[in-house]
Amino acid sequence: MVSLLLQGLALGVLTGGLYALLASGLSLYFGVMRVVMVAHPAFLFLAAYLTYTVHTTFGVDPFLALPVTVPLFFALGVAVQRLLIARLAPENLAMMSVLLTFGIALTIEGLLGTVYTGSYKSVSMEYATRSLSVGGVHLPYDKIIAFWVAALTLAVLFAVLVKSRFGQALRATIQHREAARLVGVPTERVAGYGFGVGLATAAVGGTVLALITPFFPASHWVWIGKLMAIIVVGGLGSVVGAALAAILLGVVEGLVLVTVDATWATMMFYVFLFLALLVRPQGLFGGRLAHRF
Amino acid sequence: MARVRKGLVAVSLCALAATACAKTDEPGAAQSPGQQQGPVKIGISLPLTGDFSEPGKGIQEGYQVWADRVNAKGGLLGRKVELIFRDDASDPNRVSSDYESLITQDKVNLVFGPFSSRLVIPAAKVAESYDMVFVEPAGAAAEVFEQGFTRLFYAAPAVAGDHYNYLADYLTKLPADQRPKTAAYASLDDPFAQGTAYGLRDKLTAAGIKTVVDEVYPPETTDFSPIAAKIAAAKPDLVVGGTQFEDSVGLVRALQELKVQPKLAAFSTGPTLAEFPGAVKGAAEHILSPVGWSATASFTGNQEMVKRYKELFGGEANEDAANGYTVGQIIEAAVTAVKCVDPVKECQDKLAGHIRQSTFDTVVGPLSFDDKGRPEQAHMIQQYVDGKVEIVLPEQARTADLVYPKREW
Amino acid sequence: MRIASRGLPLLVAALAIAYPWLVPNYYLVYAGALTVMYAAMSTSWNLLGGFTGYVSLGHSAFFGLGAYGTGLLVVRLGVPWVVALLVSAVLVTVFAVGVGIAAVRVRGASFVIVSIALVSMMNLVVQGWRSLTGGSTGLQVPSPFPGLHRGETHMVFFYLFLALLAVALLCWWHVSRSRFGAGLRAIREDEDKAESLGVPTGAYKVAAFALSALFVALAGGLYAVWFGSLDPIFVFSILIGSYMVLMSLLGGVRHLYGPLLGALIVAPAGEYFLIALGETQIHLTATGLVLVLVVLFMPDGILARLTRRRPGPSIPDETADQRLQKVTP
Repeated sequence: MVSLLLQGLALGVLTGGLYALLASGLSLYFGVMRVVMVAHPAFLFLAAYLTYTVHTTFGVDPFLALPVTVPLFFALGVAVQRLLIARLAPENLAMMSVLLTFGIALTIEGLLGTVYTGSYKSVSMEYATRSLSVGGVHLPYDKIIAFWVAALTLAVLFAVLVKSRFGQALRATIQHREAARLVGVPTERVAGYGFGVGLATAAVGGTVLALITPFFPASHWVWIGKLMAIIVVGGLGSVVGAALAAILLGVVEGLVLVTVDATWATMMFYVFLFLALLVRPQGLFGGRLAHRF
Repeated sequence: MARVRKGLVAVSLCALAATACAKTDEPGAAQSPGQQQGPVKIGISLPLTGDFSEPGKGIQEGYQVWADRVNAKGGLLGRKVELIFRDDASDPNRVSSDYESLITQDKVNLVFGPFSSRLVIPAAKVAESYDMVFVEPAGAAAEVFEQGFTRLFYAAPAVAGDHYNYLADYLTKLPADQRPKTAAYASLDDPFAQGTAYGLRDKLTAAGIKTVVDEVYPPETTDFSPIAAKIAAAKPDLVVGGTQFEDSVGLVRALQELKVQPKLAAFSTGPTLAEFPGAVKGAAEHILSPVGWSATASFTGNQEMVKRYKELFGGEANEDAANGYTVGQIIEAAVTAVKCVDPVKECQDKLAGHIRQSTFDTVVGPLSFDDKGRPEQAHMIQQYVDGKVEIVLPEQARTADLVYPKREW
Repeated sequence: MRIASRGLPLLVAALAIAYPWLVPNYYLVYAGALTVMYAAMSTSWNLLGGFTGYVSLGHSAFFGLGAYGTGLLVVRLGVPWVVALLVSAVLVTVFAVGVGIAAVRVRGASFVIVSIALVSMMNLVVQGWRSLTGGSTGLQVPSPFPGLHRGETHMVFFYLFLALLAVALLCWWHVSRSRFGAGLRAIREDEDKAESLGVPTGAYKVAAFALSALFVALAGGLYAVWFGSLDPIFVFSILIGSYMVLMSLLGGVRHLYGPLLGALIVAPAGEYFLIALGETQIHLTATGLVLVLVVLFMPDGILARLTRRRPGPSIPDETADQRLQKVTP
């Protein structure tokens, strides 16, 4: 029983790391635009399919797709923000943006289904079935790789946010848009780049997902609920909060999976979501503005 | 304005009077003679997208291979066969809607079944209420046959619960010291997949083989590590998966990662597909699976189907395609025997009556049905031996000996 | 013109009543019943969305609960279907009050997230609770009219859904003229101001939430006895919820007939796309693009365009940001 729990804990931490990467983009969008981007998981799977195409056509390592997908997704992100989201009327931006991005998600799903058909695809590497054993706990290599890629990407993201000029402008925009504008930050452009960065994380996340799980066009629905729960529990708009909530929920999920079953494990995400809303609507790390949205 | 409205009302009233109650698809309504000409239209709804799109595609190909062959030799009763496919996205509401429109709007002559037990029941309800014969390739779960359908036939050798019968026999007859003591079951939350695993579980439990893990996972599950972790902790002699394709691959990969080494591993459906060995990277060796069809069998039309499949789709035929093809063969035989193919009650009654009483030579062997539409034959058991699919059970169909215990993966 | 605006609804109603007799086959009756069902549900959705501006993507949770409630009462307890329908609708409404109390604590994006989560949760519960609901095997509900053949059943349910639609429209109309409706509109324009003016915003929001759940649950219950097979994955689908939103938005959320008009466009178009483009998944893309276009270019709906009423809050409520945008070059 103890070894089973340890196993669940280890798997939970590894999955939680991936969740953190996948949720970080969502937090960014919310931070810069107060927008809930329902299409984020759909973009993840778009990236997964592109990775699959690169891998199967050229027979190269899936990570070699990143130099193509990351800039592409950055550009897509800027385009989505500037051409679509920015056009919405501000008075009901929160609601309309959900519907808009929901429409984008359906569009992507339909296109993926048409191009790649509805059947499952997977990228399986030689290391996919091996694992590292530490004291009776087996850590699958693909999950370890996923975890470190996620951690590395998040570290780069934090470094950019904290150190660079762009990061400062971005954080200023997140904290107080109007004040940022007053001191000369081009908030419109920054918001566009913020979206670009968010979607670039989806490119990385998609490649990692392709590595560890088979996928089909409708796969993104499962992730919408999970990722939404994570960013609410973490506090809307807080990248750090989302990362911590991701690890927390990943661990809870892992433990429930090995002790109860998959239904209850998924249910935990929603239980935490409702608990957070009842007890602390601004989330674990959300600022005062979070509960207004 | 008022005049326009009056006009409209008048028009609609006239239309009302002219067409009141005169639905052309009233059950039993006489067909216009023009209906006899033209192709034989066959309506089919399949999950080309969604959770079941993988097997859905296989069945579609099976139907297409059958239609291709029938058309090549002159069609059904001298008329070309035309298949009309709809995508139901694995959604039961869509499946009903599809058959509803295929039958009443497209006025198809026949309908073929969709995929998965989940979709067969709503689809069969529609077919039944329009008096259409409903031969289906994939509704093997026990519930399908408990709905009181009178025109439903399952075109495969055995229902879900009986798929593992030969394996259960084999295991329970092993000498006591070789017999597995414990078994772990993991099954997809799907009536068919669960039916297969539970059929075996019930028989093994009755024979004293202890169930140490009994997991059910929802269809959207993609991460199988935690289930594998539970199985690893229980160290069973026997691992049984009530699976479809992608989850069988996921389970095998996760079991390997967690270094679970059972003496015997059996999975439904997945291992019977050609993509399986590639997807699990060499771990396929010695995995068992119930199979209703074999590429090497010499049953009626089998070799022709395998060849034609290769010509049309380039790959190797699989069991889903064979099941689709079987549906075609049964309908073909019945239509030829009763010499009618009209979507009217008398003709469909004759077809159903014929199918109920006869035995059909198909690519999965001779098939006959009981009064609920259940097939009365059994599934074989296949095993990967030296990388090749061999039939290991029953005795009379055997192409190789069953390897037990299995090699480590 | 005045006669036209009164006469048009009457004409539409007359055509609707005649519809099942005008069409050549039962598939069209079936599609018609489905369309009217969606119209009733989106009108009901609009009791919340239109008045308060709270967009719920999760109303299919109430549809599914209404359907399963009715189905289970009929199948497990042998209750007559009309009684089962009403009892389950009342139960769902009570449940919606509970959910509403938690859900309307948050606004905007969080509320949408909660509504999505609600559907997923209900799906998990119904799918996981095998012994009661039958889980993934589904629930088979016997037809309430065993004497009728399928086509005739479609006719009966066409009229039942039509009646439900009429009641939902009447309810919306009634609310829109009441003090309650005025309070809800105040919430939409500025919730904080409404509260400070003494509108009991919390209670009003919960009441609107429950009222809109009631009619959706009734539609679900009717669907259960009409359709006969329930599958948790389908009835608790986010797509159904999003159709309600799309229909309401397309028609115009501020108008009595907006959701109805939207349903008359979206539901037949959806059926058409599926049949015309049925072999690929491009129909999803079509739906998605329509949603994107509506949100971008017609967020106030067709009726707002037609009536040329100025959209937006009666008192312009600019943010500092907007004002800044005007002064900065």
